[in-house]
Amino acid sequence: MILYYFIIAAILSLVAVFVKFRRIAKAAIITFSLVQAAFASYAYLHLNQTELSYFTFDSLGVVFLLVLSVIFPAAVFHGFRYFKNRITRRFFYYHAALIGLITAITGAYLANEATVVWILVEATTLFASVLIYHEKTKYALEATWKYIFLCSVGIAFAYMGILFLGFTMNQGGFTDLSFSAITNAASLVDPLYLKIAFVFIFIGYSTKMEIFPMHTVGIDANSVAPSPVGALISTAMVNMGFIIIFRIYAALSATPIFSWMNHILLIAGVLSVLVAAGYMLKAKHNKRMFAYSSLENAGLVAIALGVGGCGYYAAVLLLIMHSFVKSSMFFQLGQLYRVLNTMKLDASGNYMRLYPAGALVLIIGMFCLLAVPPSGLFISEYMIFKALIFGNYWFVTVITMLLLCVVVYAMSVRIMHICFSEPREIIHNKYPEKIHPAETITQFVFLMLVIALCFYRPPFLDELIRQGISIIANH
Amino acid sequence: MLNFLIILFAISLIYLSVSERFRTYAKLIAAQGILLMGIALFELKEVNTASLIFILAETLIFKTIVVPYLLYSIINRTGVYKVHNKSLLGFYSLILALLALVLSIVMANALENPKIDTVYLTIALFTLFIGVLLVVNHKLIFSHMIGFLVIENAVFMFSMSVGSEMTMLINIGILLDIFVSVLIISILINRIGSKFNKLEADNLNSLKN
Repeated sequence: MILYYFIIAAILSLVAVFVKFRRIAKAAIITFSLVQAAFASYAYLHLNQTELSYFTFDSLGVVFLLVLSVIFPAAVFHGFRYFKNRITRRFFYYHAALIGLITAITGAYLANEATVVWILVEATTLFASVLIYHEKTKYALEATWKYIFLCSVGIAFAYMGILFLGFTMNQGGFTDLSFSAITNAASLVDPLYLKIAFVFIFIGYSTKMEIFPMHTVGIDANSVAPSPVGALISTAMVNMGFIIIFRIYAALSATPIFSWMNHILLIAGVLSVLVAAGYMLKAKHNKRMFAYSSLENAGLVAIALGVGGCGYYAAVLLLIMHSFVKSSMFFQLGQLYRVLNTMKLDASGNYMRLYPAGALVLIIGMFCLLAVPPSGLFISEYMIFKALIFGNYWFVTVITMLLLCVVVYAMSVRIMHICFSEPREIIHNKYPEKIHPAETITQFVFLMLVIALCFYRPPFLDELIRQGISIIANH
Repeated sequence: MLNFLIILFAISLIYLSVSERFRTYAKLIAAQGILLMGIALFELKEVNTASLIFILAETLIFKTIVVPYLLYSIINRTGVYKVHNKSLLGFYSLILALLALVLSIVMANALENPKIDTVYLTIALFTLFIGVLLVVNHKLIFSHMIGFLVIENAVFMFSMSVGSEMTMLINIGILLDIFVSVLIISILINRIGSKFNKLEADNLNSLKN
């Protein structure tokens, strides 16, 4: 089935780019979103089935695939609104690249081999760079240059990590680099090589998970890319980075380097939250503030992994809910730009008066992101702190709590300013666009979903997460 | 002979870390391409002929001819010939390069293994450090590009250090090298050169909070 999925995606992508009719391109992307949903359902119904030797529908991959399949149609809808008054040929390239990006991300979610993952991750860089450069402005060029350059450096680091891993596998008598083979061979080889491999791979894929040390890639990309693309980069792509790091972490979890990996994750996590908190205090650009919020959440996920126990469950749950909240916030930022004609914080204001439905999304989304009950993120963050306290990580607990206070202050002050204050800087915006409140429906649905997850998690979701994290040896 | 080539490669790295002229950079990158071809020729005796031809073609045609040619065309198009804005003076760059060499030797010896060639590993680590130094220490995008090419050479040396048993991995790495290098250089030539004056990295800092 995955072969048909790839073939259909390739055909639809080519149709979108070569048949230069808007309606046909629209039909292609809508068809693809249906194919994506159908494929995700198929993968769920055929759990643990392997296809084409390199792709396995395991629980972890499937749970994030289902999330992507829910978010993607909303991104397509907001993409159509983004192009509403733009007569441009970029419409076709945008949708072709979008199909390519989602296909590569889907492949990376399900790939069971380190080299195949690596190739697909490189493919995501290329498709994402087309989308980031979409506006063709000076800023877009700068962001694209930085994105390709840093991702290429990251991918080179990841390659060196895989090379070391391959070398250690050879020593253990294994010739392939599937995650199951790594799991079997890892305990037989020199831990020092495993440490080096893990560090290189972690640094390399930190570009995709938007976590310290190569977090800057995502920040610039998110701030420049069209909002629907930003929504996908800061959710689906972050989830992809997490899955890869998690798979390597799980494969090496039965080795003597397990606690060492936990320390690396804790350090990277705390530093990510630190950087996010610091820059959110300085943020003067609405999109960048939310990009730093992604960094903060990715940092919390790394801390959750590093602390272990119920932290594993919390990490996956947090990412699922973060995907819904953050995508709805980015969709809303696209609408905010259409109303206010700016992304500058100082020039934003009075949003509640100009577009109440949008302002409501921002406020509810803010409470959800800041994990204020009844946000579902409260449950995951509660579990993380529970794991930290039970694990006697008092220093990390206190530092993280203090930094989260800074994040709460920085974000709430800014959102309240956007919604209720007069703009500090007047810009020329003679004809603000009137947006129908119905355009926010997808955003409200996602936010309500996150709130509902605070009270009830469907058994299938719970089961998928538990099965997904069961690949960790010490769990 | 092999050791001689490796030592020459290390010298080219030290030269690269202190030089200030872009034409020298381009020449050194071409020289490194030839040296890598020689090293691959002597080292990869066990791989099959097709892979060997592929690797040699990559080092000779791509690293020695195509990339330096593209670098020269960037130099001619932008009219920037010299590094005039560096974070550190040449003397300090040299000290850092030597420290990187010492660190590489220490790390490679800590990783001593009968199946891994310590000399290759030392130079691979040294190449990686020099590449990172070029990216961090310089302010021109052109220098960053050179830093990236050096990191790619480090990847190649890493491939050599772990032997010829993983030909598929080495080939994938080479394809990445070709593809990404061409992509980045093309962006540099066609887009950035026309929108930003003189390829200063300082010009690329408009994305701020």
